[in-house]
Amino acid sequence: MPAHAGIGLRAQHHLEVLSESPKVAWFEAHSENYFAAGGARVQILDRIRERYPLSLHGVGLSLGSTDPLDAEHLANLRRAVERFEPQLVSEHLSWSSVGGRFANDLLPLPYTDEALRHVSARIAAVQDALGRQILIENVSSYLQFADSAMPEWEFLTAVAAHSGCGLLLDLNNIYVAAHNHRFDALEYLHAIPRGAVQEFHLAGHSRVRHGALELLIDTHSTAVCEAVWELYRAALRRFGAVPTLIEWDSQIPPLAELVAEADKANALEAQLHAHAA
Amino acid sequence: MPTLRELQTRVLGAVLDGEDAAELIRAGGLTPSSERLEVYANNARINFTESLRLGYPVLLRLVGEAYFDQCARAYRMQCPSRSGDLHSAGAAFAAYLGELHTGGEHRYLADVAHLEWLCQESLMAAEHGRLDLARLAEVAPARYESLRFKLHPAARLFASDYPAREIWEANLATETEPPLIDLAKGGERLLLMRRGGRLEFHRLSPGEHAFLESLAAHAAFAAAVETGAAAADAAAAFDAAAVLRRFVAAEAIVDFS
Repeated sequence: MPAHAGIGLRAQHHLEVLSESPKVAWFEAHSENYFAAGGARVQILDRIRERYPLSLHGVGLSLGSTDPLDAEHLANLRRAVERFEPQLVSEHLSWSSVGGRFANDLLPLPYTDEALRHVSARIAAVQDALGRQILIENVSSYLQFADSAMPEWEFLTAVAAHSGCGLLLDLNNIYVAAHNHRFDALEYLHAIPRGAVQEFHLAGHSRVRHGALELLIDTHSTAVCEAVWELYRAALRRFGAVPTLIEWDSQIPPLAELVAEADKANALEAQLHAHAA
Repeated sequence: MPTLRELQTRVLGAVLDGEDAAELIRAGGLTPSSERLEVYANNARINFTESLRLGYPVLLRLVGEAYFDQCARAYRMQCPSRSGDLHSAGAAFAAYLGELHTGGEHRYLADVAHLEWLCQESLMAAEHGRLDLARLAEVAPARYESLRFKLHPAARLFASDYPAREIWEANLATETEPPLIDLAKGGERLLLMRRGGRLEFHRLSPGEHAFLESLAAHAAFAAAVETGAAAADAAAAFDAAAVLRRFVAAEAIVDFS
């Protein structure tokens, strides 16, 4: 996967991507949107895949759940991986189901030894089933569990070490969580080992007032804010250039606007690279 | 300290059912800490409703956002999401609407919703080649009766007492005001197919509909013909060979065993 900026692929841009061939380094598709066994949608992704590198990014595997892994979901993911041959496959460090019921949202885990053992074993099982390494993404969060015994960055690093997964650092999610839980985003970045990070996500968020406190919510509905660009600069300095995704999947703008955000990420990377040289 | 399983059970109970799990959460400046759980409860509601809106755009247009969302919330109480893939969450929504409007003047809404769902299923179903006619020609006539024909994975059968397809088609476009459609004009039976990535509708007689339903339920050819003939209009004979040719040509019947 090229160490440049790609954009999230959305159905309303399918035909424009095929007709205009926008200048972006790669596309990331939500795995679940291409689970269909046949039909136009998966055929369009076949054609886009012929022209661009691809990442498949899942939101529904519920890796941290104490329910058994969903065999059907995993089989669908495996079929998609075999069909589209993506350069990267990723999922979230979260859970969304128990007792067979799903919240279909990315709930954080308690950062305990038990959860660490559990989720690491699950990630290893998924990697075995797919026959490849996957990347695990840190999530935005709006709560912390009273029983958490370590900070998220320590948990995330340990998950990578235990399971052999790579890391997808979502810089907006770090920024959102740092605001919501009052920690230092740079401390998070500097605690993550340099070699573990294989992808960055950049996205926009919203501000919502809850009583006395203003929470940041990871809505993916706006442009990347200046503070997250600043965090991106810090991440580039620490980890070097890695594939970087512009994620904007709610109130989706014209394709050209997404491409412009990707260009901005590339320009920042080039600037820092030139400066370092 | 609760086990991970206990914690997840209580937190999901809070997110989906509004139960109390505040003691598990650090308040972190928010009082009570259940407000932090409410963020997830809200996301879960929105994500579920949004998936139904995407799956039923025509129904949404017919009933409006407020009533649609009200139905979606009530449906979610009865049929919560059972998969990490939200595309399947709306599978029973049409049936739920049918129960909701039993006998009422809005009974047609469930049929339109059912048709929309079948269209989505058809558009996402697996590919399949045409029936191998040379292979069929090799079958000894004595075996015909016991053959089990298979429908294309994208084939779906539909029946309604209302002009559901006409209502569906008239409300697909969002920029024009849909015409008035007389509900009393009666219904139809349909075969939905996908060819070249597009949906096709074939009108079916009662006999053809019963015959294809029988094939879809894996009945042997002779039994399917019997079912089709029994359902056919008394006046019109059920011509099994002609019916078979029609649906092989339409690529609806694609294999046999």
